[in-house]
Amino acid sequence: MTNTVIRTDRLTKSYGKSRGIVELDLEVVAGEVFGYLGPNGAGKTTTIRTVLDFIRPTEGRAEVLGLDSHRDSLAIRRRVGYLPGELRLYNSLSAIELLSYFGNLRGHFDRADAERIGEALDLDLGREIKALSHGNRQKVGLVQALMGRPELVILDEPTQGLDPFIQLAFYHLLDEIRADGRTVFMSSHVLPEIERTCDRVAIVRDGRLLAVERVADLKARALRRLELRFGAPLPAGAFAGVGGVRDVVVADATVTCTVVGSVAALFHAAAAFDLVDVLSTEPSLEEIFLTYYGDPTDAVA
Amino acid sequence: MPLRSVLGKSIHDQWRAVLAWSAFAALLPGLYVALYPTLGTGSMMQMMQQFIDQMPEAFKAFFASTGLDMTSAEGFLNIELFGFVGPLLLLAVGIALGASATAAEEEAGTADLLLANPIRRSRVVVEKTAAMVLWTVVVAVAIWTGVALAALGFAVELRLDHVAGALVSLALLGIAYGGVALVVGALVARRMTAIAVATMLALVAYFVNTLAPLIPGMTGWRVLSPFYWYIGNDPLRHGLEPAHALALVAVAIGCVVAAAVIWERRDIRG
Repeated sequence: MTNTVIRTDRLTKSYGKSRGIVELDLEVVAGEVFGYLGPNGAGKTTTIRTVLDFIRPTEGRAEVLGLDSHRDSLAIRRRVGYLPGELRLYNSLSAIELLSYFGNLRGHFDRADAERIGEALDLDLGREIKALSHGNRQKVGLVQALMGRPELVILDEPTQGLDPFIQLAFYHLLDEIRADGRTVFMSSHVLPEIERTCDRVAIVRDGRLLAVERVADLKARALRRLELRFGAPLPAGAFAGVGGVRDVVVADATVTCTVVGSVAALFHAAAAFDLVDVLSTEPSLEEIFLTYYGDPTDAVA
Repeated sequence: MPLRSVLGKSIHDQWRAVLAWSAFAALLPGLYVALYPTLGTGSMMQMMQQFIDQMPEAFKAFFASTGLDMTSAEGFLNIELFGFVGPLLLLAVGIALGASATAAEEEAGTADLLLANPIRRSRVVVEKTAAMVLWTVVVAVAIWTGVALAALGFAVELRLDHVAGALVSLALLGIAYGGVALVVGALVARRMTAIAVATMLALVAYFVNTLAPLIPGMTGWRVLSPFYWYIGNDPLRHGLEPAHALALVAVAIGCVVAAAVIWERRDIRG
């Protein structure tokens, strides 16, 4: 019994001129929540669709649960829950009808489990799908992916269209899966979400793997842009030499700076003054790529 | 309808439309048969027949695949129902459902979601085909019912077993072209393209069957047309010819196998 749940070996998918994925080597182990981070068009969906055998690799291969992604696709799909990135549902059905349909195709519809997840996401399963909002459709997609406790859950941009409250509920569901010892592979184009939910993250850009990191390590190196506002103007060299702080600009009563890792030292220093307000902005993915992995065009070379 | 399978889901989605189509399909031929006594026995039909007899062969062939004979109920039905309207009714069902089998899932973007379940792509093709066959049979049965009720009600002499045989042949024609649409849909993942190609091929085959016999040296080409296997033997007069029916079955099976193989191998549209 192998501990590896997903393994790709030089997995490549080319679409004529447009980019797909190039010689991707991934390894996801049992029991982890694995994030797959990259900007839109990086090849996240292509990777997932290849692993699930919807599209076939140009080169290389993939294994899921120790089985060949193409030859053993049927056996794999018996054990995997999946949420597509571009979710489309059957408008002719109600939510509960769609869930029972898929449950039956999988051999057993666990209605109680579907209802439990629907309730956690605040979804009314009796409603017709055609009458549902985008966010509610996404919930139906999540329920069908998570119901029946699949060993591996593959989620392509799971939180798109969900309001923050429901996102939180979804994170709790992920925690449950983790507690069960089951495995999650989820893609996202937002770092905070990955930081909030995942154990490890693979970062992909232009179809190539840039890095695989433990999220804890990533957080230790987290880059934040901070703006601190004070009750009174500050002396010019106020934050010079504070650990982990750079690009300090003091303008009257406002200080802007960039912090790597912990903000403790900065806040300790700021406490000496009359701190009124703090604004924190997460860097964009592009900025992260530039900071951590150099110029993206270099990374490809 | 319980949603236990792809077939069950197809029935769930399609039964209303098919039921409406069946009612229409039953009414129309029923009307023809009901009208026959008022037309067929009068001098009107004799005049029509004289008129028809004088038409050039090519012109006659254009309108009917069998001998033009308006003086018997069978001849009348052959012209009015089995020559044109019947194929239209059944081809519409077969082609519409064949074309939407896999192509509609891909166009609607639901194919990924469906195929994430442990079901083979070929099985999806087969179950959607089963729904198409089922509905084609339902429409054929509806037509038979309409014809039979009218024949009994208006005392028209018709061999209803031969009507059934001709309708089996007609249903098989619809299923065969449904198979053609299925293959095109599996290949290009576009429903309208599948409908257009299957309809064009049906039109070409219709004319090959009716016109080829008139062109010296091309008479033998008729056998290339499924319409020949459908009506060449005149099943309404002679009953269903098993060999001809099997030719249509072979076309249908060949198409379903081809569609399944194509769809198994292709990248699903994302």
